[in-house]
Amino acid sequence: MHAIAYDEIHDEFSVPVPLPQAILTFRGAANGEEAPIRILQGPKTQLVDPERLATDPVHSEIFVPQGNSVLVFARDANGDVAPIRILKGPDTELGASAVGVDTVHNLLIVAGGGQGGQRFRIFNRTDNGNVKPKAVIGGPKSELRSIGGPFAIYSPKGWIVATVRGGEGLASDLGFIGIWSVNDNGDVPPRWKVGGPKGVFQQPRGVTLDPKNKTIIASDKRLNAVLSFYFPEMF
Amino acid sequence: MARYKRGRTWLGGIGFLAVLASAALGLLGSGNPAADRVVRASEAALLRPNGSPQMTSMQALPPEQDELMCPWLPASAETTLMAALQAPLTASNVGADSSALKPVRTIRDPYAAYSSVAVDPTNNEVVLTDENLFQILVYDRLANTPPTAKMTEPKRIIGGLNTKIEFQCGLYIDPTSGDIYAVNNDTVDTLVIFSRQAKGDVPPSRELHTPHGTFGIGVDEQAQEMYLTIQHDAAVVVYHKMAQDQEGPIRRLQGDSTRLADPHGLALDTKNQLMFVTNHGGRHEVKPGGRKAVTYAEGGTDDKPNWPIGEEVPGSGRHFPPAITVYPLKATGDVAPLRVIEGPKTQMNWPTGLAVDVERGELYVANDMGDSILVFDVNASGDVAPKRVIRGPKTNLSNPTGVWLDQKNGEVWAANFGNHSATVYKMNASGDTPPLRMIRSGPMEEPALGIGNPHPIAFDTKREEILVPN
Repeated sequence: MHAIAYDEIHDEFSVPVPLPQAILTFRGAANGEEAPIRILQGPKTQLVDPERLATDPVHSEIFVPQGNSVLVFARDANGDVAPIRILKGPDTELGASAVGVDTVHNLLIVAGGGQGGQRFRIFNRTDNGNVKPKAVIGGPKSELRSIGGPFAIYSPKGWIVATVRGGEGLASDLGFIGIWSVNDNGDVPPRWKVGGPKGVFQQPRGVTLDPKNKTIIASDKRLNAVLSFYFPEMF
Repeated sequence: MARYKRGRTWLGGIGFLAVLASAALGLLGSGNPAADRVVRASEAALLRPNGSPQMTSMQALPPEQDELMCPWLPASAETTLMAALQAPLTASNVGADSSALKPVRTIRDPYAAYSSVAVDPTNNEVVLTDENLFQILVYDRLANTPPTAKMTEPKRIIGGLNTKIEFQCGLYIDPTSGDIYAVNNDTVDTLVIFSRQAKGDVPPSRELHTPHGTFGIGVDEQAQEMYLTIQHDAAVVVYHKMAQDQEGPIRRLQGDSTRLADPHGLALDTKNQLMFVTNHGGRHEVKPGGRKAVTYAEGGTDDKPNWPIGEEVPGSGRHFPPAITVYPLKATGDVAPLRVIEGPKTQMNWPTGLAVDVERGELYVANDMGDSILVFDVNASGDVAPKRVIRGPKTNLSNPTGVWLDQKNGEVWAANFGNHSATVYKMNASGDTPPLRMIRSGPMEEPALGIGNPHPIAFDTKREEILVPN
């Protein structure tokens, strides 16, 4: 399982399950061996190896990055249901390995490869079909050599918070949490780097936010651990 | 804004001094009779140097052109000094170096989490893989951690970056050489083989690049063939036992007819020429002749015969019940199972490790989510109840993911991912039976965190909980 998204408005969380090509949604308080409240699965979904997702609680949508496209489903879709939008086509320049939604600035941020290596590509949230990104963050100064995993968006201030892996080996001390702005464009460095390089990380992966306690929380595969950083600067 | 106000005050002071100076020069330098009177009066009165400040003149200041020099502000109009000091910094320190920032909290299990087990009866040793601290640990087979002890020290530990050990989930011990075969599940795509005496941070004596997502391992010593299950692409690949580096599989079992669905454990019955596979149940169809499955092994390539197909049929995914599928030992291609054990009576819930007792005709299943060891008749089929179940609080079973039969000593071992322990029972044990012995890697009461390859992470703002899938 390579993604999980908590929807605080509807108090539920969703996970992609790659082998049976499904998106499962559980109630927020789910515990033990509890069945999902919704399963998105079947030929109409067009799901292939769903690895990551993001939810937009405000507009009630689920975004699933999938190779050279992003599938968008209604949050309450259940069963064999088709996407309501598909962002796809040569102008999108996707590679999509992870997604995030800025519900305040109404933006969709897509991380992944494609033309020119690892990038954040920024679209309007409701973009559909073959649409050019509004902005692209990437390049040597951006240090986006390898985005570590699912990333987080802090919508009130438009921050993109992602981990960057140190390298392809089992461990590296070059990984860090990087923070960019949704207003960035081009080869721009992160506004902040937290916990590395030459810090605590060995192979950082996913990241999430606890705004109330002004904390960034990240996982690290090699440490097999979850690390919390108090970082009020970005909140 | 505050600096600006202070600047205006300073500039106002300069103006006040300039007025004083010009007034003094005017008074002292002119031939005006009235001025002369003032000077004389001053001299006669107070204005003599006396080493102390003296009043020289009083004059109204000109009015400010734009704003007050020091505008009066009520105390409530701005934040207090304390509040200003405590307020979060914003744009002013963007770009500040926070790379050395230390976490305020770290959630990490300091003890080994056993995931698979194998016994070397020749050398009287038991080998365990650890998916938390990334080690292979070798203990004396008869080690038994006393209840009051924190842990049992292993005889040897293999671990470190040179070993390429990470999430090792399957084990095999060569009955002749004692070589240790350890399967990586998710991150290295490399099967590592160590000599029996290996210890420390040493490179494997042999390694084999595999498809992504290997889990179970079984070896047919007579045929010198090694079998590996492939979770992600629902396949079994068969290699020469001594294969290494880029060598490809010699056979592949994969396809819709196989009913392989997230296969995990594997056991071989070479006497009856059977292969058994545990399946968790999630699967999708692959396109016949489609793109090959990925490998992330360093320098690995999928350009080999019998490599699994990875190209998926969109929207073909389904959830099947957990099952044991049974095949002819030499099955290849898209071959249907001879039998399938599945259904609610089986009690299977994430059946993971698997072992077969050919002599007694029994299948042992490490039933991860059921906290149990299930024992089936080797000829079982369909929705059948296990012959025996080892389960209950006395057993100390907790998320068992590995199982091993020590035929020589008549014992069955379980690797418990859920509580830092490996437990051993008589092979005919049943019910809520205490283990004969237990090896622990951590204190008895210390809970195992169950973190294994954490990747995504989410924060539940309502309950203030961190969600960590593995």
